[in-house]
Amino acid sequence: MKPVVKISNLKKKFRNKEILNDVNLMIYESQSLAIIGESGSGKSVLTKCISGLLDFDFGNIRYKDIYSLKNSNEKVKNQHISKFGILFQNAALFDSMNIYQNITFGNKKANILKILDAVGLNKDCLDTYPANISAGMQKRVGLARAIVTDPEILILDEPTTGLDPIMSIQINKLLKKLVAKQKLTTITITHDMSSVYEYADKVAFICDGNINWYGDIQDLKKTTNIKLKNFINGKIED
Amino acid sequence: MNLYKNILIFLGLIGNFFYSVMDSLGYKLFFFFSCIKSCVTPKFYPQLLLNQIFKIGFNSLPVVGLTALFTGMVLALQSYTGFSRFSAESAIPNVVVLSITRELSPVLAGLMVAGRSGAAIAAEIGTMKVTEQIDALKTLSTNPYNYLIAPRLIASVLSLPFLVFMGDIIGVFGGYSICVHVLNFNPNVYLVNTFNFLQFMDVFSGLVKASVFGLIISFMGCYHGFHASGGAQGVGLATTYSVVSSSILILFFNYLITSIFFSL
Repeated sequence: MKPVVKISNLKKKFRNKEILNDVNLMIYESQSLAIIGESGSGKSVLTKCISGLLDFDFGNIRYKDIYSLKNSNEKVKNQHISKFGILFQNAALFDSMNIYQNITFGNKKANILKILDAVGLNKDCLDTYPANISAGMQKRVGLARAIVTDPEILILDEPTTGLDPIMSIQINKLLKKLVAKQKLTTITITHDMSSVYEYADKVAFICDGNINWYGDIQDLKKTTNIKLKNFINGKIED
Repeated sequence: MNLYKNILIFLGLIGNFFYSVMDSLGYKLFFFFSCIKSCVTPKFYPQLLLNQIFKIGFNSLPVVGLTALFTGMVLALQSYTGFSRFSAESAIPNVVVLSITRELSPVLAGLMVAGRSGAAIAAEIGTMKVTEQIDALKTLSTNPYNYLIAPRLIASVLSLPFLVFMGDIIGVFGGYSICVHVLNFNPNVYLVNTFNFLQFMDVFSGLVKASVFGLIISFMGCYHGFHASGGAQGVGLATTYSVVSSSILILFFNYLITSIFFSL
């Protein structure tokens, strides 16, 4: 299996604070990678660098050995960003547009009914505005908008954050179905271990801006890595 | 030895300060030219431009109109207080029309629109920034400069001269109504004194100022909105910075443009 994205020696600082420190990671085609770690460990920054939304200070990101993001021009960056569909943490729906306009934004050819069906939405909600729908529905709309452009890689930034347990289970099941059906390459940032067990193949544990553990989902429970074990079991280090 | 070390630290501080000022100025200039570039390179959004012209131009008309009306009225009363002391009441129409067209209408309209639309631009874009809507635009192959900044920049550069022109008419009418109805001036003489004295350059200089102020207002709103961070507090700060910096820049550029026209 060839890597879609190859991240090597990635470093990123914000005002002299090192957020990412020498991150190396491969993302393979049709793989569902979960990036887990404590709040502030650099998960979101890493995915923003991977998708090209954020510039990195050092290292490189290569896409399928076709191009690299290091020293790339605006055109390559824009081309790179368009390969990603992103479900943002708070859905990031456009407040001034209704659900239909949010989903089909700039994409007149979108098969809206097929997309609605894929994310479990009813067409009756299309005229509604984001402020008038529940958080779970906002996530579904965000997901619909993320997949409408047929992205090569789907990034899910904490897809179950802010949802009640039942809605979390529903979203996890929906994502599992979607990932399996469309054979999408996905990167999921999450604190929610049930999301990880539900649909991830590979897991990367990020700690202090570095990949502390990387492996198959089956090896996650057997790990001897103390920091990872504490994270999974919700234990505070003594 | 200690003195030498202290001098070095002092020089280092000055260097750091100078470096950060130049760095920030350079970044703002870069952002400014990126904004200007987005106004002249595709993709264009005519519908958004019309919406912004309506929001910035048409919706600001009542507040600018009221400001101009009361300013014209006050100017007529105050001028009368001074000019009647040396029997120069006939100069009041000239003073009112010159003050309104050259100075008060552009500056007051600029300050009003900065408070109203500049703040709205910063708050709207700032909210989009902190809720990741701008990132979402990028993933949908939409350039946020073309989509968010260009329509606002063009709309305010076009709308402000229109607002100022309307302000000129309303302000002069305010002065006229006070002089005719309160101070018992002859209406025909007042109008003749107003229009005989008025020159094209008086109105034109005001409209040039208005365009520059429009650019300042929308640029500062977009800049501070685009760099908002940290949730609601960050958006609040972006709004405040936008209004304060546009107001100061409007006053500064008012002097600069006045001195340029003065030397012509």
